[in-house]
Amino acid sequence: MLQVLLSGLAIGAIYGLVGMGFAIGFYVTRVINFAEGQLLMVAVMVAAAIARAGVSPVIGIAGGIAAASLAGIVTYLVAIRPVLVFNRFSFAWLVSTLGVGLILENLAAIIWGSTSTSFPTLLNGTSVHIGNATLSLQELVTIGVALAMATAFELIRKRTLLGKVGMAVALDPEMASAVGVNTTVVAVAAFALAGLFAGVAGVLIGPITYSNPYLGETYGIAGFVALMIGGTERPVAAMVGGLILGILGQAANTVINTQASDWFPFVVVVVILLLLPEGLFSIRGTALRGLLRGVRRPSESAS
Amino acid sequence: MSAGALGDQPLAHRAPAGARGRPRWPSVVTVSAIALYVLGTYGLAHGTLYIQGLVLVAAVFAVLAVSLDLVAGVLGLYSLGHAGLFALGAYATTLLYTNHGWNLFLLLPVCIVGVGLVGLVLGALSLRVSGLYFAITTFVFTLLLTAFASDLSWTGGYGGLVGPIFPHFSSGLNWLGASLIWCCMAVLLVAILISLALRRSPLYPVLLAIRDAEPFAAAAGARTARVKICMFGLSAAMAGAAGWVFSFQGIVSPGQFNGPVAVNILVMVILGGINTTLGPVIGAAFISIFPVEVAINPFWQEVLFGGLFIAVIVAYPAGFVGFLTMLARRARERWRPAASVAQDRPAPVSETAERRPAPIEIASVQAAARAGAEHPEAVPLAVAPRPPASTGASTPAVECRGISFAYTRGTPVLSDIDFVVRRGTIHGLIGPNGSGKSTLVDLIAGRLQPLSGTISLDGRRLERDGAPARARHGFMRTFQAAVLVRELSASENVSVGYYTRIPRLAMRAAAWPILPGARREAGALGEHSAAAMRFVGAGRWADARVANVPHGVEQLTQLAAACVAGPKAVILDEPLAGLSPTEVEHMASILSELKSAGVSVILIEHQPRFVFALCDEVTVLDAGEVVVSGPAADVRANDRVREVYLGQ
Repeated sequence: MLQVLLSGLAIGAIYGLVGMGFAIGFYVTRVINFAEGQLLMVAVMVAAAIARAGVSPVIGIAGGIAAASLAGIVTYLVAIRPVLVFNRFSFAWLVSTLGVGLILENLAAIIWGSTSTSFPTLLNGTSVHIGNATLSLQELVTIGVALAMATAFELIRKRTLLGKVGMAVALDPEMASAVGVNTTVVAVAAFALAGLFAGVAGVLIGPITYSNPYLGETYGIAGFVALMIGGTERPVAAMVGGLILGILGQAANTVINTQASDWFPFVVVVVILLLLPEGLFSIRGTALRGLLRGVRRPSESAS
Repeated sequence: MSAGALGDQPLAHRAPAGARGRPRWPSVVTVSAIALYVLGTYGLAHGTLYIQGLVLVAAVFAVLAVSLDLVAGVLGLYSLGHAGLFALGAYATTLLYTNHGWNLFLLLPVCIVGVGLVGLVLGALSLRVSGLYFAITTFVFTLLLTAFASDLSWTGGYGGLVGPIFPHFSSGLNWLGASLIWCCMAVLLVAILISLALRRSPLYPVLLAIRDAEPFAAAAGARTARVKICMFGLSAAMAGAAGWVFSFQGIVSPGQFNGPVAVNILVMVILGGINTTLGPVIGAAFISIFPVEVAINPFWQEVLFGGLFIAVIVAYPAGFVGFLTMLARRARERWRPAASVAQDRPAPVSETAERRPAPIEIASVQAAARAGAEHPEAVPLAVAPRPPASTGASTPAVECRGISFAYTRGTPVLSDIDFVVRRGTIHGLIGPNGSGKSTLVDLIAGRLQPLSGTISLDGRRLERDGAPARARHGFMRTFQAAVLVRELSASENVSVGYYTRIPRLAMRAAAWPILPGARREAGALGEHSAAAMRFVGAGRWADARVANVPHGVEQLTQLAAACVAGPKAVILDEPLAGLSPTEVEHMASILSELKSAGVSVILIEHQPRFVFALCDEVTVLDAGEVVVSGPAADVRANDRVREVYLGQ
């Protein structure tokens, strides 16, 4: 049981980091960057390439994360900003960010080949025993880093001016720019951060998955589902969503059968969305409690 | 006042203008387009297998994209569930044919109805949320279906199932070529025609109003939630038909309906041109044919594909159709430089004629509405004089008794509100900010429902009805900040207000152009809308896009929308906010016209000068209670009113 929980947390931390990457970009610009999964892949591929060149793996990992962050900024400037300038409420970014995802994935395949290659490991195979469960040091570090990053993000968002500026842009970009916030700079920072989260997720999962240009699709969808579970009102909710998704997947594999992680988490997502249509940690969740206490709401469907 | 005596020309004698002049039967253009389509299909049905393969896939995805556009483009519901609905159609056809031996042609209606019903349920569940959350909820539907299809044994797992083979033409019809091409293209043609019919029907402005200005649509009588769910059901039924066709194309496996496919269908719609009839078809053709036709290194091809996505969307956010429209506009400018005068400028009408609204028109609008309600086919020919307003002047039209309301328990916003609006009078509702005026308006108009108390119109209790039902009973309203569809013309926005007067419009819209009398109804609707715009004195703006009209005209447009259906009572929520002094005067004359036409007006306003000059009776609210209610002169003399409101 403890084993399921800890393994689930380890993989869920990765989903959560990618989910937070989605959520941070969405939080500021109301755009889902469908190339988010590919940013994770960029980090993995660049880190592996640098390490193969014989440089220290630490530099490789730093380079991978930096590359993912940079790719996040480029995605915003090339594919998102021009679309939002035209119409802030259109869904056209869906097409352009998917385009970025296609380009990143296939360029990676062209440059580094489409098959899996090795990934530098910093913490080879040390395992840690907790109770009757065994966890690799890599997994333990993953959980720790993910939780630290989520906490740090939430502290920055709530306690610093930068975070408050981000919240202001999230709520009302026109008002924020009217009081002197450069919304473009805030958005660039958000996408750099979104790339950073995906990049960190990439270098943490790399030793397990090896480097492969198609990693982005798998982890992109998992991260998106994490975002769905958590809801989009607070980016940190996506981390919780990711952890829940990870644990559910592991539990389903252990309790039901080895393929159950394909569908069981979605059943849970359906139940969550039926009960709380805007995710587990949405404002509507509190509104729902209010409803049960007998508050009247506008009812256009009443007739 | 006898309305006919003023000799305004009868409505029906005005020449129908522009688009309304279309002949009843499909025009030459439509017939030749369909003939070309059939010829093209004939050609494709004799094409090589390679071309046929391309066309089959493109056509199936075109059906899907057209069906998705009906909800994504027209209603703003970005569904990612269409891949799942598509899968349902394909799997149902394959399984029911292979395992149970059902007739293939019986399976088409089965798919349409069955998947349509699933769509209704999915829509009803997902429509509790909007925007991204709607996309997410429907996306989960697709993910769940494909996950089950991959894991279950009776669906064939990852490998899928072999679909049925579509029967060939009998020997007599062999000359037609490949039967599956005909079948596929026929389904696509029907999908395109349904989309076209909806866009031509008077429901289209209502649908756009539901998308962009939901309170406005609801106040005009559209049951917005129901319309959305039904449109989603229709769209799902089309996706089911696409699945039926797809099952004949070989293997049916989960990989053909997974999350990326769901997103791809939306990409087709957006890339081709969202909210257009042909855009989704172009997008579907591009996305399904490009990867096959551009046979270079597969990786570079994908890079090129992605680059094209970005280039098209960044340069032409309206997609391929946006690009084509731009080309067409340039061509037109080159050929006829003079003809490209901006259409959005008002027609040149002399100022004096514009300033004074013709008194006849509200009466004619109402008579037309009444005629329209009783005999939907009848175009109003003559203007029936209204019964003299004096007979009903003292009878109560709107009665509010003991209304209480609170947003959250324990803090009442309104308590025990009592007042009566007499027929054919203007009743002012005033009070300081925060006194509960807007809440009271929402309660009377049906956006909110009171905790206790009764509201009645002409003796009919309405307090439990929603806004659309009240509109059906002749209760219309305007909003403090005008909410209109910016991409439609002012008179199209006004036509939304006529929704309740076109019987069963929502049911008939999908087959609109071929229905008997539809053209006459549409023509009458256009005339009513134009007449209503003239009644409010904004006739020359009738054809201008709302995005391009000044603020005052927006206010007049929503007033026209409230009047077009011949209401018994209208509620005007601060109609003077932001108007210039001349516009205020103009509004005053419109209100007098409404009053003399027998309409009861409830007017929420801040400017005491205007209120006491124009209103017959006034109710003063303060802190959620009625301070005083009665004839304007008495209220004005009331000490407490002078103190709390007039500041004297």
